[in-house]
Amino acid sequence: MTASFADLSRRSLLATAALAPLALPRILRAEGQGPLRIAALSPLTGAGGTYGPAMVKAIRAVVEEANKAGGILGRPVELVAEDDQTNPEAAVRAARKLIDVDRVVGICGVWASSVAAAVAPLCWESGTMMLATAGADALTALPHRGFFARTQPNTTLQGRKFGEFALSQNAKKIVMLSPQTPFAQSQYENIAAAVKPAGGAVELLIYDDKKPSYRTEVQQALRGKPDAIVLGGYLPDTTVLVKDLLRAGFTGTRIAFAYSVNQKLIDSVPADTVEGIFTIAPSPAEGSPAWKHMASVTAMENPDPYSTQSYDQANLLLLAMQAAGTASGTAIRDNLRKVSQAPGGTKVGTITDGLAALKAGQAINYEGASGPCDFTDTGDIIDCQFRYEQVKSGKLTLLRIA
Amino acid sequence: MLSYLLFSVTIGGIYALLSLALNLAWGGAGLVNLGLAGFFGIGAYATALATGAGAPLAIGLCVAMAAGVLAGLAITGLTLRLRDDYLAIVTLGFGEIVRLVALNERWLTNGADGMSGILAPGKAALGVVGFNQAWAGGVTLVVLLVWLLLRRLDQSPFGRALRAVREDQELAGFAGKPVLRLKYQAFALSAAVAALAGALYAHYQSYISPDHFQPLITIYIFLAVTAGGIGRPVGAVLGAYCVVAFLEATRFLAAVVPGIEAVQVAALREALVGLSLLLVLHLRPKGILPERIPPAPKAPS
Repeated sequence: MTASFADLSRRSLLATAALAPLALPRILRAEGQGPLRIAALSPLTGAGGTYGPAMVKAIRAVVEEANKAGGILGRPVELVAEDDQTNPEAAVRAARKLIDVDRVVGICGVWASSVAAAVAPLCWESGTMMLATAGADALTALPHRGFFARTQPNTTLQGRKFGEFALSQNAKKIVMLSPQTPFAQSQYENIAAAVKPAGGAVELLIYDDKKPSYRTEVQQALRGKPDAIVLGGYLPDTTVLVKDLLRAGFTGTRIAFAYSVNQKLIDSVPADTVEGIFTIAPSPAEGSPAWKHMASVTAMENPDPYSTQSYDQANLLLLAMQAAGTASGTAIRDNLRKVSQAPGGTKVGTITDGLAALKAGQAINYEGASGPCDFTDTGDIIDCQFRYEQVKSGKLTLLRIA
Repeated sequence: MLSYLLFSVTIGGIYALLSLALNLAWGGAGLVNLGLAGFFGIGAYATALATGAGAPLAIGLCVAMAAGVLAGLAITGLTLRLRDDYLAIVTLGFGEIVRLVALNERWLTNGADGMSGILAPGKAALGVVGFNQAWAGGVTLVVLLVWLLLRRLDQSPFGRALRAVREDQELAGFAGKPVLRLKYQAFALSAAVAALAGALYAHYQSYISPDHFQPLITIYIFLAVTAGGIGRPVGAVLGAYCVVAFLEATRFLAAVVPGIEAVQVAALREALVGLSLLLVLHLRPKGILPERIPPAPKAPS
């Protein structure tokens, strides 16, 4: 009797000892005491490999700051970083691991549009929140039920900015010259939408981007005597186009993307060809409190747009959970806009300030390092700062950031 | 965890089909096909377009394989005089052409945005977990069927004739083997299996884009076939499952190495893939399960 009793207790002791490591995290998780996990799914290798490491660094800085401030909902935050290899096939495998094994509540720092489109279904099916820096218009049109949002302006917003800028230069008749790109049509429609109410009109002229000369296109564009010309192409075709515009004697306003009329183009053509061209590009909120804070905690002197966006995404994920009072993807989805754009809320730009304000019972309005970070119902960014520059004596000169 | 394992089994199965395809052309007939991702893509887009137009899954898979066969025949026809490195370069180019066409022909393939919402049979009825279980089982079954078929083919006179072409095509021709026809058949069949893998992938993921068909996957499959054993179907299948298991395991392995950043973890994973290939080639130069050449029948005395 004694022997069997001792035997029993030893067995149960052994069983308990063996099962304890397995059971413990489960119990803790059930009670909501274990660490809560968010993920960075960024390109660390492949074509996006130049951007990913800084993005992960920015996200990690937010997580460390949150833990220093006492964690989220009293729980420590754990960051799980996976490499998406800038390849949707590899990214899906990584995302499955993040969702099924690590059970992350949110994924941020997703860079490429194709990766975002491949991973998004996994997120909305499993109720995981996903924040991306991808710009393709189609992404927010996916049936994501609110589990997707992005901090990168889509083509719609960029088009509007071009239109508004043309108006500010007193241009009413505008011609947009562009090769066939995925965004040409949407860019044109949104310039039109911006200038129509002010009595302006836009004409779209699509050209073949491999031609050695654009004299006919330029003549056709100048037929209606436009006030402004929008150059929608890439570097090689824009180089040819600016020369032909000068030859045709066009003296009106020229507006271009900053990625096509860059210093490389300016250096490669005679100075008078490009003098006075305006360029527009999405810009981080340089000099804002969040931007300054981010630059100091990540030790980056001049953070690029993608890492500032990643910094904001991590902040938004964590603040939304704190505001919700529960740690789940659904909670983040339902509270994202309550922390990003609560009307009349306290403006915050760091996780420490945000947590303090939330704990004090205040509503908050997160103003990030990449911009105001306010979202539409479909997950697009409402407004973001743009950088306006002009070519002055062979140099790009900053006009303003707005 | 379970659904992650089921997912990995399904992806392993799709890799196994690709490995079987490569093994047939490369291990069987000696035709190096670096454009495997192209055939994979053709299958995926073919079924996405067919089922998008209202065809059921079975028709979609048939259309995918037919498209694969046609592409395979065309490539063989264009590269008849090429062998080894030269053939490898041309097929690599073919793979890129498929990707570029998918990227630029927006009216057909929706360009860089990719095709989303591809028919995912059973997803609505079975739920996410049931869908994962059904697909893991279904894809494994397809792998089993294709493996049995290719093993049978390997041991048949057709398989022996293919090997003769691989070893010395002049000699095979001299011995009366129809070298040209054998090449066409082997490459077309290989392309059909790769296209089938692509079709299954498209339906399983319900989203494809040109970026899916970068050469990365071709490299993984070459790794699988080399590690598993060139010229032996069971080796190719084993190699494929090993590669997927290895790729996934390194995530957990690299994460426990203390004191390294995420970007170093990513680099470490890539280094481990290279290191393991070196080790396999050093320790088992002919792969884990090397090809078995049956002894020549004894001449009747």
